[in-house]
Amino acid sequence: MSENEIIEKARQAVLEYDIEMAEEAAEEAIEEGLDPVEVINEGFTKGMTEVGDLFESKKLFLPHVVAAANAMTAGVDILTPELEKSGASLGEGKGKVVICSIEGDIHSIGKDIVALMLKIAGYDVINLGRDIPCVDIVGEAKNHKPMGVATSALMTSTMVNQITVEELMKEAGLKDSTITMVGGAPVTQKWADQIGADLYSENASECVERLNAMEPKS
Amino acid sequence: MAKEYALRMGDGKRVHLTKEQIYEDVMAGSEDAADLADVPVLDSNDVDEIVEILMIPGRMVGVESGREVPVTHDIGTLRIDGDQGNSGVGIPSSRLIGMMMHERAFGADSMELGHIDYSFKPVKPVIAQEMQSMEVVQQNMIVPVVYGAMPNMGLYYRPDGPFDNPGDLMKAFKIKEAQQATEDAADHLTRDMVWIMQKMMKSGSDGVNFDTCGAAGDGDLYGTLRAVEALRKEFPEMYIETGMAGEMVLGLHGEIAYDGQVLAGLWPHQQAKLMAKAGSNIYGPAINTNTAQTSAWNLGRAVTFVKAAVEESPIPIHVNMGMGVGGIPMFETPTIDAVSHASKAMVEVAGVDGI
Repeated sequence: MSENEIIEKARQAVLEYDIEMAEEAAEEAIEEGLDPVEVINEGFTKGMTEVGDLFESKKLFLPHVVAAANAMTAGVDILTPELEKSGASLGEGKGKVVICSIEGDIHSIGKDIVALMLKIAGYDVINLGRDIPCVDIVGEAKNHKPMGVATSALMTSTMVNQITVEELMKEAGLKDSTITMVGGAPVTQKWADQIGADLYSENASECVERLNAMEPKS
Repeated sequence: MAKEYALRMGDGKRVHLTKEQIYEDVMAGSEDAADLADVPVLDSNDVDEIVEILMIPGRMVGVESGREVPVTHDIGTLRIDGDQGNSGVGIPSSRLIGMMMHERAFGADSMELGHIDYSFKPVKPVIAQEMQSMEVVQQNMIVPVVYGAMPNMGLYYRPDGPFDNPGDLMKAFKIKEAQQATEDAADHLTRDMVWIMQKMMKSGSDGVNFDTCGAAGDGDLYGTLRAVEALRKEFPEMYIETGMAGEMVLGLHGEIAYDGQVLAGLWPHQQAKLMAKAGSNIYGPAINTNTAQTSAWNLGRAVTFVKAAVEESPIPIHVNMGMGVGGIPMFETPTIDAVSHASKAMVEVAGVDGI
């Protein structure tokens, strides 16, 4: 099987949510001595990006994204030791992101999609869950020293807690070193500007795009 | 300087736009809906009409004489007494008084009796009280009174119900198990809703309002459609209204199908036909408001979805017009200017049969 065929198989495995096919593609890549970084970037990740695009255009849904991520993970897991042996990395230089639904808000589906897409994009995601007290969010930021802290609010009555997070981040001296990110149905760019959040995104793929485009604060 | 008109953003804030800007936003909203749902974009006459409506300076506008439509109010029974920081006004009163006020003072054309939890599942332990309330209500009211609640299938998942939460299972990459949990919950949902409505029909209810169908995704809608089908079979004359939770059916199962039709990803014009097939009399589309866009954009978009549904629906359409739906800002108590302008456009441009 040629290099292109193996890479295409990896991409197709993600699009078809096929774990066995993904494992086969990864094993064949190792047998043929292919560059694991290229197989991941041009095969698995490309397939995942297509799934993400179909999700954003509402042609595919959360179970499909999770199933595709499952297939991708199976393939990447096989390639990872090879990656480590060669001393290579995916080379994206991406950092940690702490994410949660804000205090008082139990809605988590959108936040979990963002967490998943950030993870797929190469960020180390620490998903705290839902209805997380503002002080705990800042506490976790102190512990993990992430590049970003993301909060999601689905209600106008809970989005006001994003102000508290901004204030507590400032008080803790973390605001200068951490990108604060906000999202959720009632949240807008204007709201983000008003409360001093660094990044607003309307959906998961926009969140990844915007974070990718930002320089870490420290 | 061009004249500006006071409109709203989707989060309720004031925004001032020129006629040209309003036109551009209505068109852009319409194109967004047309692109998503593969339905026709509004023609220039429709767009002009929406623009003219949005430019009417009055705080409150109404439809032209002769174009009035029936208006009802979900959970209006609790709106007088309720005061939870939302649009309730906190005046001590019973549900019956709330309903009678809506009928005799506010001009509601039909009403529903609803429980404070407003979901079907919590009605089970208080069914005797609800049956008695329905009997008393029917003896005092003139307009049709149905029983109303949300399918709210989320209550069947842990910690509120017996099944594992598909969201948690998916996070653990257990897709098949998540789908099975959805199917199991849908079975229980159908069973409970049919049982509750059998009791309410025995107590004189004129029918049922399934409110916010699909709130827990495609499985939620699946369970509801099967309940509609069973109730239609048992009660051929009852009124059945099925209103949606959002503009599109969220695919939390992804593959569940009713009558051979995969439910995930259905848009209002497709939902309407399925509701009719199951046995509904009335379908209520709910078009989501984008808080970052203007009311012109949101209304152009909402009218496009709903007009397509009106044209394809075999049953009357009573559109949801309230907080965060139908081109109305997402705000606890939506302003009357936004509500009345959007409602006028829904009746006169989209051609809905009721609100």
